[in-house]
Amino acid sequence: AFAGEGLRTLALAYKDLSEEYYHIWKKKLHYVSTVIENREEHLAVLYEEIEQGMKLLGATAIEDKLQEGVPETIACLTLADIKIWVLTGDKLETAMNIGYSCNMLRDNMNEVFIISGLVQLEVQQQLRSAKEHILGLSRVSSTGDVAKGEMFAEDSVFEEAIIAEYALVINGLSLAHALEPQLEHTLLDLACLCKTVICCRVTPMQKAQVVELVRRHKRAVTLAVGDGANDVSMIKTAHIGVGISGQEGMQAVLASDYSFAQFRYLQRLLLVHGRWSYFRMCNFLAYFFYKNFAFTLVHFWYGFYCGFSAQTVYDQWFITLFNIVYTSLPVLAMGLFDQDVNDQNSLRYPSLYKPGQQNHLFNKRQFFLCTLQGIVTSFLLFFIPYGAFSVMVKEDGADLSDHQTFAVTIATTLVIVVSVQIGLDTHYWTAVNHLFVWGSLIVYFAILLAMQSDSLFGIFSSNFPFIGTARNCLSEKTVWLAVLLTTVVCILPGLVVSFLRVDLFPTLTDKVRHLQQSRKKQGPQEQNLRRIRRTSSRRSAYAFSHQQGYGELITSGKNMRMSTLSSTRSLEGTAQSSSWIENILKRKNEVACISPERPDPPDSHRDFRGSADRLK
Amino acid sequence: MGKAKDKSGPLARRPDNSAFKQQRLPAWSPMLTANTVLPFFYLLALICMLLGVWLLLTVQSTQEIKLDYTELGNCDQCFQLRKNVSYAAQTCSCKVEFSIDRAFKGDVFFYYGLKNFHQNLRRYMDSRDDEQTLGRNNKLKNPSSYCEPFAKDAEGVPIAPCGAVANSMFNDSFTLTYHPSRSRTIPVPLLRKGLTWYTDKNVKFRNPKTDNLTLAAAFEGTRQPLYWQKPVYDLDPDNPTNNGFINEDLIIWMREAAFPNFKKLYGILNRADASFTKGLPKGNYTIDISYNFPVQYFQGRKVVVLTTLTWFGGQNHFLPIAYLVTSSLILLMAVVLTLAWWKFGKDGKNMKE
Repeated sequence: AFAGEGLRTLALAYKDLSEEYYHIWKKKLHYVSTVIENREEHLAVLYEEIEQGMKLLGATAIEDKLQEGVPETIACLTLADIKIWVLTGDKLETAMNIGYSCNMLRDNMNEVFIISGLVQLEVQQQLRSAKEHILGLSRVSSTGDVAKGEMFAEDSVFEEAIIAEYALVINGLSLAHALEPQLEHTLLDLACLCKTVICCRVTPMQKAQVVELVRRHKRAVTLAVGDGANDVSMIKTAHIGVGISGQEGMQAVLASDYSFAQFRYLQRLLLVHGRWSYFRMCNFLAYFFYKNFAFTLVHFWYGFYCGFSAQTVYDQWFITLFNIVYTSLPVLAMGLFDQDVNDQNSLRYPSLYKPGQQNHLFNKRQFFLCTLQGIVTSFLLFFIPYGAFSVMVKEDGADLSDHQTFAVTIATTLVIVVSVQIGLDTHYWTAVNHLFVWGSLIVYFAILLAMQSDSLFGIFSSNFPFIGTARNCLSEKTVWLAVLLTTVVCILPGLVVSFLRVDLFPTLTDKVRHLQQSRKKQGPQEQNLRRIRRTSSRRSAYAFSHQQGYGELITSGKNMRMSTLSSTRSLEGTAQSSSWIENILKRKNEVACISPERPDPPDSHRDFRGSADRLK
Repeated sequence: MGKAKDKSGPLARRPDNSAFKQQRLPAWSPMLTANTVLPFFYLLALICMLLGVWLLLTVQSTQEIKLDYTELGNCDQCFQLRKNVSYAAQTCSCKVEFSIDRAFKGDVFFYYGLKNFHQNLRRYMDSRDDEQTLGRNNKLKNPSSYCEPFAKDAEGVPIAPCGAVANSMFNDSFTLTYHPSRSRTIPVPLLRKGLTWYTDKNVKFRNPKTDNLTLAAAFEGTRQPLYWQKPVYDLDPDNPTNNGFINEDLIIWMREAAFPNFKKLYGILNRADASFTKGLPKGNYTIDISYNFPVQYFQGRKVVVLTTLTWFGGQNHFLPIAYLVTSSLILLMAVVLTLAWWKFGKDGKNMKE
């Protein structure tokens, strides 16, 4: 019943032995252990003899489950083009079991390479042969370096074209050899060709070294997730460190950039908040460059008309307050709240994450475009009022083509144009956005009228020379007509380009947004989250090693020595909890009333030989 | 995380589940779709065209006459005279003739204009003292250092008003005469008051407090700017309230123009006069100019402008034409967008996942 719930069970039984019987048995044991041939069989017979007629006491069940949602998270992140490597201090079998239960290793993978050489040469050979197997190269080069260099160049092309799925499992000792300068490139290339990389028996130092290796040689951002103190160095080395707070204490949490309690929150962190953050940051930057270029380059154009004497077009106070008061809050609201796609859809479509990885939203081209937009805006912002003002007079005939009126008009137009532009750039209008945008415009006019009022001039006369300008200038209809024309001409090209881009060449983001809009119109519906099909055999979600004969290993004292796992040793019937119990019970000749957890067809037994020519 | 909270228990350190902190604020998510953008473009094109046409019609109803009198007729002699600084004290006057084909109906405004005179040079614009022209007594005798080198004269007597802007004040004067027939001449009266902004005349420029003294006495201890012929308290002998810092010509000149070619108001036709109640009738006119302002140093030109005005200002063809051009461009863009949408993106063709 316990095993049926997926718990690890131990049955307890006891038997009384008389001392005499024990001495005889012990002598036999001693004798048998010195036998040269078939020692195992003799020992087995002897053990069976004594382990009979025991009284069952009961059963214990232990669980050490993986957190819930881990396989789904990993599958989701893989769809987002994020490569996931496992670095663990556990044994090989444990690590592989974890790999299967997380759906990282699958039964239908073409090949699982296990690198467990003891000396550098062996490790090198294993790495090389695995790599050649993947790349389909039949040549085996004896000289190391030349071939490595050639292969390295080709790999960057091949990496993306690999359709077959490979996995790499490497243990700590081999990793120590593989991280040396001669082999690290080979290791990295091989690891990047594989879909999954699992490193087992890894020391904390090696975890950091692996992360360092990827950081140094690959143009990728690394994120390290860990929960124990042994993960701290890895967390610190990676670009982003994530700590899982839990039973292993707070060491990882204290060293990390982000921390939460469950691994599955990583999905939300990356696909929702990480993606939004990138999107917001790029929008923010592009808008800031545009706004400041539009603001500043007006002086460049004015230079042609003021004898290049560096006379400012604007009032000094406007220059001070423009970036701080008039235009800071709307863009802040955009940087905090903007969402292109809502959170459910971000999780449903993990490939929305790709623009961030490929640097689509803010690169040299985007920077050039937003700068160009700023320059063109500044040009229009200057020359249209110039044309209007060169001969302008007020309704009552008084002059209106003076410098101060021109300054106020251009300043007003600028604030309106950049506010309209951020209105068009904001995808997600919360109440805060509304408040900030409209509020900034109102504040601009309020401050303008206040600064150019009589009372302020009376107190600080030499600091506020623009007295009366706003009132006289903004009450003229012709000024507002000039403002309207300038705004229209500055905004429309951007609008045309955005519309054409979304209509003719929509990106995935645009498509999902479109879907979101139409769904919202149709009304809330059931959202069937596609269940991620587990293609692996049903392995338990346990972090135990399921090696057969574990008890023998302990009693024989072999585990006190260096782990002698070699790839040539076949591990039959591994990693199946039910079969282990079955085997033990068979030996005891007791009828087991424990139903096997999830019996597997026999052909799914894995043979973990890392030989390069084994075909599936 | 880790904020001290009042509640205790296992959920004590959980972050706030408010909509604000969990990024769940309700919002409006607009999207650029064809059925909002395309009608907007067409509407905008229509609006711009209407505005352009309206403005063009308004502008067409104004009339303007411009005369460049720098070397026109016998002003050429004055021009040559003014080339020599030693004759600066000599007066020189000249006459300019013009005729009007169609009567100027309504208010007529008389402007003087300068070309290539950069009133917008930075150092020039800084060279003034707004507190002195506000009538502050401490500044009257002690002008600010921005006015250097036009703050004090060679003997150290402070200059009022100080600075380069005041110093370079335009000092040509004009008298307009109408010739209805060959023998008759009627002087055209020009109002030389009410030309400035209300705030300029009443707030920004104030004379120093006179108490019971005359204006001249209030300016005791200062002297006029070096290039002026008359002191500041005697700029307008006809009108005692138009003297001192609040002299309208001074105020108008002190409001620096934004561009090198500008015009400033000189006078408004006084329609109280019987002959000119309807405006300027058609016929021949002469302007008598007292030619003082030298312009050859900066290759400048001097012009005189007579114009009627509408609510839109004078003859300003730029805005109407700009509006019409913009509206046609918007219409063109709208048509292109409609075609593109129709052929390629209709019904969300591209939006299939």
